[in-house]
Amino acid sequence: MASSSTNEPAKQIILLTTSDNADMRVEREVAERSILIKNLLEDLGGESGEAIPIPNVNEAVMKKVLEWCEQHRKDPPASQDDDSDSRKKSTDIDEWDQKFMQVDQEMLFEIILAANYLDIKALLDVGCKTVANMIKGKSPDEIRKTFNIQNDFTPEEEDQIRRENEWAEDR
Amino acid sequence: MARARRIQRDVSTSRSDTSASTSPERGVDDDNDSFMMQGNDSQSSLAPSVSPEADTETLRRELEERCRVSPISRLPAELMISIFAKLSSPGDLKNCMLVSREWSRNSVGLLWHRPQTNKWVSVKNVITTVRKANSFFDYGSLIKRLNLSALGSEVSDGTLQPLSGCKRVERLTLTNCTKLSDLSLSIMLKDNRSLLALDVTGLDSITDKTMFALAENAVRLQGLNITNCKKITDESLEAVARACRHIKRLKLNGCSQLTDKSIIAFAMNCHYILEIDLHDCRNLEDESITTLLTEGPHLRELRLAHCFRITDNAFLRLPSEATYESLRILDLTDCGELQDMGVQKIVQAAPRLRNLVLAKCRMLTDRAVLAITRLGKNLHYIHLGHCSRITDAGVSQLVKLCNRIRYIDLACCVNLTDASVTQLATLPKLKRIGLVKCAAITDRSILALAKPKQQGHGGPVVPSVLERVHLSYCTNLTLSGIHALLNNCPRLTHLSLTGVQAFLREDLVVFCREAPAEFNDHQRDLFCVFSGLGVTRLRNYLNLDTRMPLSGSTSMDDDITLHGNGMVMGMGGMGMGVGVGIGIAGMYDDRNDGSGSNEEPEMILNVTAQAGGMALGGPEAMDEEGDEGGDDDFGEGSEIMMG
Repeated sequence: MASSSTNEPAKQIILLTTSDNADMRVEREVAERSILIKNLLEDLGGESGEAIPIPNVNEAVMKKVLEWCEQHRKDPPASQDDDSDSRKKSTDIDEWDQKFMQVDQEMLFEIILAANYLDIKALLDVGCKTVANMIKGKSPDEIRKTFNIQNDFTPEEEDQIRRENEWAEDR
Repeated sequence: MARARRIQRDVSTSRSDTSASTSPERGVDDDNDSFMMQGNDSQSSLAPSVSPEADTETLRRELEERCRVSPISRLPAELMISIFAKLSSPGDLKNCMLVSREWSRNSVGLLWHRPQTNKWVSVKNVITTVRKANSFFDYGSLIKRLNLSALGSEVSDGTLQPLSGCKRVERLTLTNCTKLSDLSLSIMLKDNRSLLALDVTGLDSITDKTMFALAENAVRLQGLNITNCKKITDESLEAVARACRHIKRLKLNGCSQLTDKSIIAFAMNCHYILEIDLHDCRNLEDESITTLLTEGPHLRELRLAHCFRITDNAFLRLPSEATYESLRILDLTDCGELQDMGVQKIVQAAPRLRNLVLAKCRMLTDRAVLAITRLGKNLHYIHLGHCSRITDAGVSQLVKLCNRIRYIDLACCVNLTDASVTQLATLPKLKRIGLVKCAAITDRSILALAKPKQQGHGGPVVPSVLERVHLSYCTNLTLSGIHALLNNCPRLTHLSLTGVQAFLREDLVVFCREAPAEFNDHQRDLFCVFSGLGVTRLRNYLNLDTRMPLSGSTSMDDDITLHGNGMVMGMGGMGMGVGVGIGIAGMYDDRNDGSGSNEEPEMILNVTAQAGGMALGGPEAMDEEGDEGGDDDFGEGSEIMMG
């Protein structure tokens, strides 16, 4: 058929509408890192040109998410046996992703929520690892300070839990 | 933004009943329930159907405020759990439990999924907590994996019984907790409908009673290892076969009372069997084997070592055109009745066999080897030790047609010469080769093995990938051959040269590993196995030692006077008489090499690790593998307990 389209498929641009009503134009291949968007596009049958509403993600977060998708556009698709993957407890993160995740906590958790909503497993994984690394090696009190969490245990309760879980020491 | 809505959505997804969930499900009658639900619990009180509109609005505002102050509060339980799942240390998880009520609820399930039970102090603490009447959580019901094997024979019925309240245990591993009896095990199994895998290896006092309790309760069972539970009989196992139809992996090694009856029951009732190990079930006859094959379309691994009553008929009776494409691993060690006809039928019926162990099937000849060549590229692992009728002609055909072989053992195939080994040396993927007591081979063989290989046609020349080389009692070998092997096989980690006189020099044996404790003095004198760092040190030493011949002869003289072997040494430790070498080999047979029995424990560790606690075989199994079995991949791919 048309030689131009078979040799170099034209980069298809799609339109996303964020929760704060911003319209964002993005290459289909990049957006399809999100399984949610990929499935939506497939359901719509491709060429409709309609804007896809993303009601749970605002523009600022979406920009950040798409930046990650752009960087990882050529990554091999995530394997389906995510069970074995998620059991892997390694908290190693590659360098680009580490830099990417150097954001304030508000943005960090919004990225995680967006990755979860948009079904971008690898990004969700990086997000969770980043938070896990912020927890590792800290005392309960240091963790509370890090994340601004209020201690709602009574001292007795805290003591009880400590005793009941005494076995869980680091080797 | 739709923050409140997002949180509501997550309420619905945060409760699930899988073992990954950490929601501490509690009994309705538990007093602590209300205590946990009070005040702070945003999740449960958010459910719109329960809360009136006004309350929802207030709570929504509260939540929004909390999320502003502490952004991590935006994450729903499921995502907090995903984060906690990345923490590998129990210490970190415990610290999470102490942060706040919400954090403790989301981390407790992960922490207790598999409590640490490798030390007495931990086990004691776990037991105390589980038994406590008013504990903060219902910890017992969170335990999904329980493994007491690290404490072995220290574990008694009194240890296990207090844990019998843990009714959701999915994997129970009690390997070698030899003091346990039916008493605690039947209570432990009672009312547990979640059990997926049970390993009671070596619990030789348990009887049919435990197996009947298993049959009554464990409807989801997939893996069962009762290795060496010698009191168990057909009767209870037939009940297990009828009740536990999802069984995939079975290890019945050494259950010496079993007969065809129970095995046929498994074959007829459990159609999902993937692996079955019947090592040392010496009463088994042909019918059970035929039935396992015809009724088990998924059967991948069939181990029948030492089931010596099995004959060719087990296979010849299979329907003439049927093939069993799933079968990858077949172990017929010491099934001495097996003949060439049987092997021909096996290869025809199971064309995708990858591992074939025919050690000590002494009647096999080159005709069987020619049949095996039909497996072609599928064959990775072949053990023909003690098939002493095999000749160079058979081996040469095997190398030509099965060039993906990674492991080959030809111990005691005494007809083989350098012609065989120079052929074997061309196998591009060969990692392990066993030539113990192939006494005719010379340094020519070793130099061939050392030679770099060409990859494909006109491909690059790459160093040999050999890792383990077993050459004990190849008495013609000299230093120069082995020196070349050491310098040309960068991956070499195991080299056994027991009984090879050229290496029994004081300056060389210092790099050897210790002889096994059970060896007598004479066996110690001959023992010579280099492994790991020892290989590197030997290599370095030989590369430095330019005065080799001199030092060789002096140290050997010492040896001779010390142990009175009365052997005459040539210069440089070379020229050891063949006759004498064979004599020694004959006297001590396979046991003398030592690397075999020393190596098996490694293998068992491997299997245990891969099989999640399903260890294999007892001490007997180790002995029998005798001459350098080194079956490192014996348990390859057997995720027995891992489901």
